[in-house]
Amino acid sequence: MSSDINEIEVRFISRMLTRLVGEMNATVCEQCGKCSSACPVSKEIEGFNPRQLIAKVALGKIDELLRGDAIWTCTACLKCKERCPEDISPYDVILILRNLAYRAGYSYPAGYDDFIKGVKESGFISKPQAVRIRDGGKISRGDLGLPEVSGPGDLALFKVVIQGIIKAGREI
Amino acid sequence: MRYALYLGCTIQSEQFGYEASVRETLPRLGIELEDMEGVSCCGFPALSSVSKVGWHYLSARNLAIAEDMGLAVLPLCNGCHLSFIETKHFLEKDPELKNIINMNLEKEGLNYRGDIRIVHLLEALHDEVGTQKISEKVVKPLEGIKLASHPGCHAIRPSDLQKVDDAENPQKLDDLIRALGAETFDYPEKIDCCGSQLAVTSGRVTLRIAGEKLQAVKSYGFDGLVTTCPFCFKMYDGRQRAIKGALKDASLDLPVFYYTQLLGLALGSDPKSLGLQMNQSPVGDLVERILEG
Amino acid sequence: MMDKPVIVIGGGVAGIQASLDLADRGLKVHLVEKSPSIGGVMAQLDKTFPTMDCSICILAPKMIECFRHPNITIHTLSQVKEVTGKEGNFDVKVLKEPRSVDESKCTGCGLCSEKCPTKVSDDWQKGLSERKAIYILFPQAVPLIANIDREHCLYFQKGICQVCSKVCPAGAIDYEQQPEEISLNVSSIIVATGFQELNPSELGEYGYGRYKDVITSMEFERLVCASGPTGGHLNRPSDGKHADRIAFVQCVGSRTHKKGYPYCSSVCCMYATKEAVLIKEHDPGSEVTIFYIDLKVFGQGFQQFVDRAKQHWGVEYVRGKPGEIRRNPLTKDLAIWYEDTMTGNVYEKEMDLVVLCTTMIARPGNRELAGVLGLKLDEWGFFKSKDPVRSPIETDVPGVFVCGCCHGPRDIPESVAEASATAACAAEVSRRCAS
Repeated sequence: MSSDINEIEVRFISRMLTRLVGEMNATVCEQCGKCSSACPVSKEIEGFNPRQLIAKVALGKIDELLRGDAIWTCTACLKCKERCPEDISPYDVILILRNLAYRAGYSYPAGYDDFIKGVKESGFISKPQAVRIRDGGKISRGDLGLPEVSGPGDLALFKVVIQGIIKAGREI
Repeated sequence: MRYALYLGCTIQSEQFGYEASVRETLPRLGIELEDMEGVSCCGFPALSSVSKVGWHYLSARNLAIAEDMGLAVLPLCNGCHLSFIETKHFLEKDPELKNIINMNLEKEGLNYRGDIRIVHLLEALHDEVGTQKISEKVVKPLEGIKLASHPGCHAIRPSDLQKVDDAENPQKLDDLIRALGAETFDYPEKIDCCGSQLAVTSGRVTLRIAGEKLQAVKSYGFDGLVTTCPFCFKMYDGRQRAIKGALKDASLDLPVFYYTQLLGLALGSDPKSLGLQMNQSPVGDLVERILEG
Repeated sequence: MMDKPVIVIGGGVAGIQASLDLADRGLKVHLVEKSPSIGGVMAQLDKTFPTMDCSICILAPKMIECFRHPNITIHTLSQVKEVTGKEGNFDVKVLKEPRSVDESKCTGCGLCSEKCPTKVSDDWQKGLSERKAIYILFPQAVPLIANIDREHCLYFQKGICQVCSKVCPAGAIDYEQQPEEISLNVSSIIVATGFQELNPSELGEYGYGRYKDVITSMEFERLVCASGPTGGHLNRPSDGKHADRIAFVQCVGSRTHKKGYPYCSSVCCMYATKEAVLIKEHDPGSEVTIFYIDLKVFGQGFQQFVDRAKQHWGVEYVRGKPGEIRRNPLTKDLAIWYEDTMTGNVYEKEMDLVVLCTTMIARPGNRELAGVLGLKLDEWGFFKSKDPVRSPIETDVPGVFVCGCCHGPRDIPESVAEASATAACAAEVSRRCAS
């Protein structure tokens, strides 16, 4: 058994997707519409419809979904997951599809690059900053008597490990 | 009660008003907080959408540190909280994944066992301290003030993985608000999402989603909105001006608080120690009202 | 040699039908019913589908016939507690709870109820109104005899009051009544214990229990029935305002692998249509919408019934289950969010009343009775018949038969047909074992 994170990642995602697309899941969807009518995004964006997304998965139209915007438009509110009577959770499917899209080299929101850069640099998506206060001026952690932030002890080592995990998808 | 305090990226880097209010109030209720050393991002939402294994690795890493401390972990952010819960669940179900993650954690001298207890702030305050004890310690009751409870999606869903509160009818934050002497009641949009995660893709739609909820809250006569999540807070408070612009609603001025900020005021803490100067929404009048009693 | 009697457990329409069939054949029947009156769920319905007959009007004559039939002995407030023996020779012990009223003296005048000071939530009216501690189950009850609910009666709880015995013109009140054990020897046993409705409180997204105007279908039946708490006026429970906009949500707790049961509850599509037509009959101007996933209309006349509901009565059918039900705290109006899956559009609509078509589930009492009779239950607590295709009404125990909803959701025509089938089987046993 290889300890290569990348290989494991691919197998993990494939396993999850097989499970999700397979017998028990997307095809059990009765297209009842509870997910789409509970979804906050579907109320605002015409064309984002978790029910239709699951139908596409069940029909095998994965590539179309990977190339599109829909999978990046979910706000992870989890209402669909909570209310689906068949435990299908469009949210979980969307998360898997996002992972696949990233690996396949399809486009994704640039914000994620910023997050990853931050994590690699300091262990966190952002570094402590001076923040604006309501009545004008700025404030920093020290002004409130807060302790210094503690990140990974050996940042270089941490970076190597994380790099290894993400390397198979993109070079950032 | 002692917890390993896990702050997460957003709170420690910019939403440290929340952190300050937690450090000020929780010890007054008998909760000891121990800082964690060597932690990192929990992985949500940074890595969850692009590398599921990477995401679980990061969360497991932090949980391993807490396990080493021999304490239950208290993540202040709803997102971190759910991230930990999901990671614990997946690693339990998938020993191969857990093994791989541990093989890599070993390089940093860490090991994730999987017996960590993960406690949400609402659980710590409502279940472990109790509303009775809190109300006994209140010296400045928030009388006559109506506050809307916004527990946030990731504190209450999904109900098959977490039991912080009822997913369809959460009441713990409501009980905690009442413990401070304030009033609250159910409203239809209570368990609606703030839309934060969508901001990465479509800022405009996010502002509409968040704004519509704020407008609704205002229409029911609430004086303010209360939350326990830095993402929700950042959206409703930090971006309220942008929301007003997007909805063309100049009168949408709704005070937004972290629960622990109000808790602090009720317990008699100095407002400056609660980070209230950092709230961008118009909280000034309400804070004065509470202080004057 | 006389054929031995048969015992029928459960006095709903199936039990009543089986009893009448057997009695008409000359066999003696002991009809054992747990509640104070026979009738079962059918007595609580307003109308039946697809004929739109008044339910109690077609049931009551059969109930009276049971009462008058020389071959039928009705045991109410009774349960089967012990069974030994085998086909042709079962020894059955029945425990009869005390009515606290002398059945030979009570005339069913109702004066006791009128004067009783204690009010209790009326289960028979699905909690929509109250009854007294001494009460007659419903106006057409058989037997039409009062009954004291000892758990709420002031005399039994605190030793005071006794108003009922003071006002009873027949002197029928008997506080000293004790539970009675009856021993019977029968040739066969027919189980017809029926079903109960799922309580949808657990399905929090529908708001049942939190929003008064979200009700179950049985509650709706009582609401719209002339003998119900509002005299048949469709007034919404929260503020009594007349309900003009009504939604029916199908498959609540059924056809699901989460928080409910995976089976189809068989009757809901039809009774929702029936209830929708009922509303339209009362008030043609009302807006009635049925939210469904599939329409199960397999029975005789069913499809035509639905077609008529759509075309003649204007009932709207939307393919899409509501994902959200909300209530405005200020106006108390309900709003539902749904997707019309035929068009892909998501809508929000205001409603006065939302009726949840909840699943039929097995009665919890089945477990004990199965133990007593040596029967198996399926994973959802319904009695298991010997074979669903070849022997649907026989069980693994020779001489014990099942009919009606006690072994799974089905409608009245099916239950009645099965009841007659079990009667035929029981009669066969009686003849074969007469020696």
